[in-house]
Amino acid sequence: MNLALSTPWVLLLLPLALLPLLFSSQREQSYPSIGGIEADPLSLAIDWTLRIAGTIAIVALILGLGGLHRLGRTIEKSGEGAHIVLLIDRSSSMDNTFAGRAPEGGEESKSAAARRLLKDFIVHRDHDLVGVAAFSTSPMHILPMTEHKDAVMAAVDAMDREGLAMTNVGRGLALSLDMQEADTSPAARVIVLVSDGAAVIDRKVQDKLRAAFARRPINLYWLFLRTAGTPGISTVPAPGEEDTPQAMPERHLDKFFKSLGISYRAFEAENPEAIALAISEIGKLERSPITYLERIPHEDLSARVFAVAAAALLVLLAAKLSEVRLVSTREEA
Amino acid sequence: MTERAATAAPAPVDLPYRIVWRSRSVRQGAHRSTQSGAGGIFRDLATLLEYRDPRRIDLRQSLRDPFGTLHVRRFEEKSEIGVTVLLDVSGSMAFEGSSRKMKLAADLVQVLATSVRRAGDTFALYAADEEVRDELGSPPTRSRAGETDMIAALRAYVPERKGASGLIEAAQRVGRKRNVVLVISDFLLPEDQLVALFETLSPHDVIPIRLVDSHENARLPSWGLMQLSDLETGRRRLVAMRPSLKAEWQRRIEARRSFFRALASRYGREPFEITDTIRWDLLGAHLATGA
Repeated sequence: MNLALSTPWVLLLLPLALLPLLFSSQREQSYPSIGGIEADPLSLAIDWTLRIAGTIAIVALILGLGGLHRLGRTIEKSGEGAHIVLLIDRSSSMDNTFAGRAPEGGEESKSAAARRLLKDFIVHRDHDLVGVAAFSTSPMHILPMTEHKDAVMAAVDAMDREGLAMTNVGRGLALSLDMQEADTSPAARVIVLVSDGAAVIDRKVQDKLRAAFARRPINLYWLFLRTAGTPGISTVPAPGEEDTPQAMPERHLDKFFKSLGISYRAFEAENPEAIALAISEIGKLERSPITYLERIPHEDLSARVFAVAAAALLVLLAAKLSEVRLVSTREEA
Repeated sequence: MTERAATAAPAPVDLPYRIVWRSRSVRQGAHRSTQSGAGGIFRDLATLLEYRDPRRIDLRQSLRDPFGTLHVRRFEEKSEIGVTVLLDVSGSMAFEGSSRKMKLAADLVQVLATSVRRAGDTFALYAADEEVRDELGSPPTRSRAGETDMIAALRAYVPERKGASGLIEAAQRVGRKRNVVLVISDFLLPEDQLVALFETLSPHDVIPIRLVDSHENARLPSWGLMQLSDLETGRRRLVAMRPSLKAEWQRRIEARRSFFRALASRYGREPFEITDTIRWDLLGAHLATGA
């Protein structure tokens, strides 16, 4: 409970709360002698109830005047999840359908399908920290690791914009790794690479990536949105064909990932259903324990405090109304 | 409203009072006396040698005497008595219910003082709370001087001090000669002090006059919260009055009253109770029976 007051100096009035304990709120009436008549338990109980109600009323009013509120704070909680970087291909080919042409009518482009399914995925991952990066010619740092689902949704939605020319997987991966690097928590780290093609990774970049991946364990998922008729990850070149990264980038990228010695899985999806399947598969796999911070917003408690004061005052009012005079004023006159 | 009218009714000038014992005072007065003399009621015969007053020779008795002894008639002399009022001016007498208890007390003292002086008796007033309040009292005197001031002071006095233990000290001041002592109080003293008071007053003819207000007992409310402060001790108490508690209170008050009545009857006359208003006729009858 992180309670605070907007105007703390009203606490100076707190000693007033002792008054109801010392003095009764009821009008005092003289009686010749109550000696020889013991106090009955009910009267005693009512007496103390009224005194305490008076104290509560004053304390609550003072706290209400002071503007009692609970400070916004973050609490550490543990749940299941992972720190995920979505690395999304922004090359223009993503705007095509799985058939490899511009979407027409009710057709859905690869990026739109991926976007829809990724959003669906994020919504159901309550405790994940998600970062978003994109790459085409050069990598783009879109959203740092965050728990704000709305921001992630917006970032994923940004894939809607028209794509750019090239596919530079290597530098995109390097950026994703950098994003993970900044995060020091012991949570499981995941990079989800969403692309519809591969490219040659420079030998120098390969070495750097290898070193970076070796530094800390990262789970890498490659969601390969394969356009119909193009070579897949597991396509083995026909005899006589060239088996070079330039000729078959997907196969060689896959081989490179496998050679990294990290937990790696590739999903080849040729339609939205396959993407959904792959994403749910990732969701199932990434269920390691995680500690996450939950943010609780600033909460104004003065209304509640005033309600407490009102309740206490109602008790006092009831007591006041049930007060009787030993000698009625009419007779005294 | 009839009660109020009765309170406002002018006090009688004279309040008769009578004693069943004989005064030992040598001073002439209006009460039966141990003194023998010339006037008054015939008491007995004595020989002229015993009582040398030849003016009172009873001829008939002397002639009837075969031995020729001369008999003299003796008559009872009327003597005065001392009347002392012990007035409780402790805090509880400040209670104002149907009437002010101090007003009732002042009325009583005024009428008593007048009556006593008209009868030619000595009147003394001792007012006491936790000690004797000399400024309110008056020493035994037959003079009327200062009487008006005394009554005015009593009427204006607002009791505030706690405790009535000074009554015992006042009782010791009454003196050794048998007096009629009227104790005007609400008798809300602790039981041991009550016993000590009556013990001290035992040589005298004690007439307790108890002032009660109907609001402190019979007319207690049946329901409701009352914050009461004890006039005697200053203690405060919140009372959630309800019929069962009211009955309990009345039982306690009645127990206290019957203890007092039993004690008073053992040491002196039956107490006379004044509730809200003074019924002068009843008080006169009570004082006149002398029992």
